[in-house]
Amino acid sequence: MTEMQTVDTREAIRQALDEEMERSSNVILLGEEVADYNGAYKITKGMLNKWGADRVLDTPISEAAFTGMGIGAAMTGLIPVVEFMSFNFSFVAADQIISNAAKLFYMSGGRFSVPIVFRGPNGAAAQVSCQHSHCVEAIYAHFPGLIVLAPSNAYDSKGLLKSAIRNPNPVLFLENELCYGDKMEIPTEEYLVPIGQAKVVQEGDALTLVTHGRMVDVCEKVIEEYRKKGIQIELIDLRSIRPLDITTIAKSVRKTNRCVLVEEGHAFAGIASEIGFQIMEHCFDFLDAPIERVTQKETPMPYSKVLEAKTLPNPERIAFAINKVLNR
Amino acid sequence: MMVYTHEKEGNLKKSLSRAMTEKNKEKSYQFDSFNKGELIQRLGKEKLISLLKQMLLSRNFEVRAESAYQQGNIGGFFHAYIGQEAIQTACVDVFGVENWWSASYRCHALALLLGVTPNELMSELFGRANGNAKGRGGSMHLFSERMLGGFGIVAGQVPIAIGAALSIKYLKKEDEVSFCFLGDGAVAQGVFYESVNLAALWDLPCIFVIENNQWGMGTAVNRAIALDPIGEKIANAFNLDGYAINGMDLLSSYYSFEKIKEKVMKERKPIIIEAHTERFRGHSISDPALYRSKENLKGIMNKDVLINLKEDLIGAGFLDEDSYKAMDKEAREIAIESIKHAEASPWPDPIVLEEDVLEEE
Repeated sequence: MTEMQTVDTREAIRQALDEEMERSSNVILLGEEVADYNGAYKITKGMLNKWGADRVLDTPISEAAFTGMGIGAAMTGLIPVVEFMSFNFSFVAADQIISNAAKLFYMSGGRFSVPIVFRGPNGAAAQVSCQHSHCVEAIYAHFPGLIVLAPSNAYDSKGLLKSAIRNPNPVLFLENELCYGDKMEIPTEEYLVPIGQAKVVQEGDALTLVTHGRMVDVCEKVIEEYRKKGIQIELIDLRSIRPLDITTIAKSVRKTNRCVLVEEGHAFAGIASEIGFQIMEHCFDFLDAPIERVTQKETPMPYSKVLEAKTLPNPERIAFAINKVLNR
Repeated sequence: MMVYTHEKEGNLKKSLSRAMTEKNKEKSYQFDSFNKGELIQRLGKEKLISLLKQMLLSRNFEVRAESAYQQGNIGGFFHAYIGQEAIQTACVDVFGVENWWSASYRCHALALLLGVTPNELMSELFGRANGNAKGRGGSMHLFSERMLGGFGIVAGQVPIAIGAALSIKYLKKEDEVSFCFLGDGAVAQGVFYESVNLAALWDLPCIFVIENNQWGMGTAVNRAIALDPIGEKIANAFNLDGYAINGMDLLSSYYSFEKIKEKVMKERKPIIIEAHTERFRGHSISDPALYRSKENLKGIMNKDVLINLKEDLIGAGFLDEDSYKAMDKEAREIAIESIKHAEASPWPDPIVLEEDVLEEE
């Protein structure tokens, strides 16, 4: 029997980093407050003490420089894991991620790999307002050459982060501040979660609900209400945004013939838009109703908790979309 | 050569006073003298002829590539290094290939100096399958085993170079350094200062070579950069050693890079270099450089690094006009041959279009 441990997502991420640092001495951590301060969200707690200042590097507040530095180090033999205190700060370093990390393997004729992981909290937290709440997946998943992962729980966070660190490509690993404390039983023994595979969280036949990240938890509560009424909704957690596991999604939609997409980020040119289009490409003849999407409304994130709750996808809006697709 | 360190800032300000207008640019730089005759004798005929040949190859390669561009065989952006050859030629020879190298999009010469063959390079410019980057990079994105790229976004290569320096330090490769070539225009980018700050904080063995060719596209340096002299001010601000190099003279550049090598190998700290130079062409091939006067350009051309070295070597008895012409012809033939090679090379098979977007595990 597999030995299990109960950990929160924060600890699961820390274990992934720790195990991969043990596995290869070329894995280094860098970012703002990752060393002395033990991480702004304590993900890297104890890492400086254990691995030393050569491998756990506190950077100044210079996202563009330390992101590019990580990319240069990745091209020359190291495997950097770069923490963004918030993925919203990655915008300062967007040129390095987009023009360099995403393109160097291709444009160097396959000469230089860029084995680097960028990780940190993505999307909304609790009332952190307009400039700290943006979901970045639709921005970065747009670019060929980047891998974008968005785990929703401790098990996937650990297994996917370990896969990300071993992957020879640049990976953006999107976490959620509000989920760092969520507890879960995970194996004590080492395991990996493969990149590019979605997970069917709950099987069902009435409708396919596709989401990722923090919205998985919200959707689980919604489908529970339907289950009580005898309606079985199939819930898919993307886990990997790009590469996208359209096979798992299409298989489900061909079975249920109905689909609702839920995304914490914005609607326009978002992940749901992309998936909706791909469903049209793969499942057009199988759809019994138009696809619906529930996303953040087209506003910056307001500070007031009343407004914040209204702009984000919430159980009421998700249920409304489900009912519409079910013709109820 | 002019060496300035933060300890002796005072007596340097005078000698490094820099041109504020095109009119007085000609006479603005004063570099400390060095014993040219002694350097020529020490380097010897074979070495100096080899350096001359490298510069001739770079010059002829770019001149021929320009023609190929005009004929429509090369597309996109094309930035010639013509006029600036002495800097990278001296640098690569003094330090050796086995370092990390990053450059801006003006990167043909560096690729050649680091061992990319003219054929491979010309094939890349022609967009052929056997090009340096399989026809994916073009003129601005050239690579070698040790060249991390020509980078197309101004100053985009600067943090990459400090990352390579971080690897060197972490992996304890004590005989290597990371070179970052950038233009004066890149000094206006924020990421440059962030990177110098990090390199200085962490003692990263990174050498920043600011090649001040006086123009950021069509904007004169004094209209874009408030620092004057650039290298000295930055070095002082970050408590680093700085050097000014006469990039219009190979021997002077060589002498400077030798001193710099001695210093960096001993101290393993970043160094700021401002190499004063002139590009003979416009910013890119599509820029006729109408912002420069004819007199100015003529004055610049008279300072040609090739002519300077030729005269020095003739003076030393290492060269005569005929042998120079023969070397120039030889370089021209290599360049022409590379064009023939590129013309005869296969186009990329569209079937490979989507290869290498991601590396397979």
